[in-house]
Amino acid sequence: MIIGSASYSQSNIDTISNTKLEEVVVTATKTLRQLSTLPMPAKLITKEEIAKSSSTKLSDILDDQPGIFIVPDFGGGNGIQIQGLDSQYTLLLIDGSPIIGRQSGTLDLDRISIGNIEQVEIIKGSSSSLYGTDALGGVVNLITSKAKDSISAEASYKISTFNTNDISVNLGKISQNGDNLNFYFNSFNSNGYDLNDDPILNTVEPYKSYTGFLRHNFKKNKWSYFSSVRIYNENQDFRLDENSYGKNIINELGINSSINYIKNKNYKLIFENYYTNYKNDEEFRLNQNSIEESFFNQSLFKSELRSIYTINKKNTLTFGLGFYSELLKRNNFNREEVSQNSFNYFVQYEGFIFENTNYVFGARYDQYDEYESEFSPRFAIRTQINDNVSSKISIGKGFKTPDYRQLYFNFSNSSSGYSVIGFNAAKEIISNLQSLGQISNLIISQDEFEGKLKPETSISFNLGFNIKTNKSTVFDINFFRNQISNLIDYKIIASKVNGQSIFSYYNLNKVYTQGIEFNSTSTVFNDIEISIGYQFLEAKDNDSKNQIKNGEVFARMTPSSPTFQIKPKDYFGLYNRSKHNFNLKISYAFKDYFEIYFKSKYRSKYGLSDSNGNNLLDDFDDFVESNLISDISISKNYKNYILTFGVENLFDYTDRENIPNYPGRIIYSKLNIKL
Amino acid sequence: MKTNTFILFSLLLFFSSCQKDDEIQLLNIVSERFDNLYAPQNGGVDQRTGQFAPISGEFTKFNFSTGQVTNSDSDWDVAFRATSIIVNGGISLGTIDEPTRNGNASVYIASGTLASVTDVDVQLLAQDTESGYAIPTGGGNGWYTYQGPPVNLISPTPGKIFVFRTNDGKYAKMEILSYYKNAPDNPDAYSDESKYYTFNYVYQPNEGELGF
Repeated sequence: MIIGSASYSQSNIDTISNTKLEEVVVTATKTLRQLSTLPMPAKLITKEEIAKSSSTKLSDILDDQPGIFIVPDFGGGNGIQIQGLDSQYTLLLIDGSPIIGRQSGTLDLDRISIGNIEQVEIIKGSSSSLYGTDALGGVVNLITSKAKDSISAEASYKISTFNTNDISVNLGKISQNGDNLNFYFNSFNSNGYDLNDDPILNTVEPYKSYTGFLRHNFKKNKWSYFSSVRIYNENQDFRLDENSYGKNIINELGINSSINYIKNKNYKLIFENYYTNYKNDEEFRLNQNSIEESFFNQSLFKSELRSIYTINKKNTLTFGLGFYSELLKRNNFNREEVSQNSFNYFVQYEGFIFENTNYVFGARYDQYDEYESEFSPRFAIRTQINDNVSSKISIGKGFKTPDYRQLYFNFSNSSSGYSVIGFNAAKEIISNLQSLGQISNLIISQDEFEGKLKPETSISFNLGFNIKTNKSTVFDINFFRNQISNLIDYKIIASKVNGQSIFSYYNLNKVYTQGIEFNSTSTVFNDIEISIGYQFLEAKDNDSKNQIKNGEVFARMTPSSPTFQIKPKDYFGLYNRSKHNFNLKISYAFKDYFEIYFKSKYRSKYGLSDSNGNNLLDDFDDFVESNLISDISISKNYKNYILTFGVENLFDYTDRENIPNYPGRIIYSKLNIKL
Repeated sequence: MKTNTFILFSLLLFFSSCQKDDEIQLLNIVSERFDNLYAPQNGGVDQRTGQFAPISGEFTKFNFSTGQVTNSDSDWDVAFRATSIIVNGGISLGTIDEPTRNGNASVYIASGTLASVTDVDVQLLAQDTESGYAIPTGGGNGWYTYQGPPVNLISPTPGKIFVFRTNDGKYAKMEILSYYKNAPDNPDAYSDESKYYTFNYVYQPNEGELGF
């Protein structure tokens, strides 16, 4: 992908005036595009911003972005929330290829070290027209760095509170005949932290991880090649009490390759192959004799062929076809392994209508065996209204296929006895339990499991304006709405003789998220840069909204007070969504001596669960208080050294019950050496 | 102003005279709160070991006309055992110690507040059967929701109003407020004793009256 992007002819770059040439992204269209001329909402995080924030993990740098939240999930791990959509609706790519291992839907962003990342590209709104499943809320693509000098070496070491050590090494080499090699190694370890009173149980247990990444590209005549290998290993030991302890190991492998054939300046072919494997093994010892083991082993092979035809300077036509093959083995499944193959075909046209208006039209067809096939179109248009104002409109369809857990899960909680079963497994499991006399009450007839679980789909709409007031200030405003249908949720399908319930997954709800994003960056006195971000978000369930309107929803002031009927204005919306989010970043470079960077993120109150028994979040539920997290750092540049000293979570904000991913104040120091 | 007062006065006169003439003395509707009806059970899933033993134990019976708990084998309307609620009408599910139904009571769950349920819809009334109780058991099915570990709390679902036809053919409505002793504002499944029902009820003591 990278060499692909590097070798795309520059003809794709639109020739609209006053744009910064260096800000180029590849994720929005799979062709090289100037960020400023893209007709869909996009955000670029540069290597400089990563360095400035001293972030070493993807979760850290994404959490700094307005409108993006990093939220802990019940399945473990810290996932991303974009435009009010959960982690499972955002596709995460490295050099254009997906990261897998969503054990319970969430992709843990702490897994990804960013010491070799050139830029992070974020496309908001549905991108299924190019990427297929999971790209409902958006796409985050990490572009890795290639060597820039004939020989280069860079190392950094960051030490922070809780004995957290992060060591990164980047080695680059460009050989005489054009081989470009970059090797990245990261070692991370932390003692974890403890926010609870339990003397043995920790909030985060000590863990260590290693990342290795090797990439190579090479160009000869009309051919260019790119290949990379990524490995990741994580080890964690944990204890639950005196006698029970366990071990959790994650191993990841990703092999990526791309071959580019450039026939002439108008036509090229790109052939990409990608294999990745994610393995998680957990061993848990309750006492000397009892060992519980769980495993999760997922593989993905992806192949894609694209042909890009540049008709003239302003018009580009892309055709693509792809193949996915996925395999998953895990415990708590009602079958040994599940696999799936799928094919996809896509087309995209990038063009101009008038001198000042460009557009992208694309569509993709994904063909599945297990679910209905999906057709996902997208249209986006941008108009440069005058020298200072431009508008963007994009509308697209997105989808997400049910994950295997929703189809094949067969899980029973050993302590309380409830069960969760997948849709495809339900019929078999229920009739087994019935013949054993385990079912006391079947709430849903078995016929309802005859059909197929439908993919979740969305229509996303974005309308944005970009306004330059003067040389030093830029405003961005974007209105968005995502309407999701066939949202998969679980509900009780039967009760067992032990009084506990059996849950299964269903296409239940329609939900929407809508809001306004606002960003501004300005430079004052030449050396102070201020960026302000704000997001207003409304995320609601259409069905709940109707129920409330019809007077069917009730609440209690306290758990033991009489019922009253709730009104539409009392409905707060979906869980874990804040209405207001405010970001402030100020950086001040004092000549060449030092640089100060201050950032602050405000998140207004939100609810994590229903506390008054009506299955939705209303104003009478318990809420997580609004919070403000501020970080500050100072760095000093001397020859090839950069020394940074900083404090994260300056005011030591913690909420152990609701926000376990905030460990409190963190003090760190980072040294970066470039040779 | 004078005329208004006059009309009001004559209306009052009219109503009071009516009552005297018809000689029908309607009984007052009873609106009460009952605290801490204790409904223990034996067996079930042991919270500590996870072992399951058959459920047993006497149901605690309640009579709407007396407004009291009763030991009578026949003069009861509704009975409680842990989270299970039965009526004196229909067929026994056959659990251990479950009483035989010798009355004609029935029940349905209406959606609303205790005040907003003003009429009985007799079409909806149902009795217990050998395959299930008229008030379904299990969290999320009937009258309560169960919040799993680590909270393990049983909370009466808001908006669930029981509408009963009593053993002797009268009607009553009930809202369960709490499953914990002394109905604490913020119950704790570990420190508050469970299986203590507190409920509000309204009893219509007049034969054939379907409104509250």
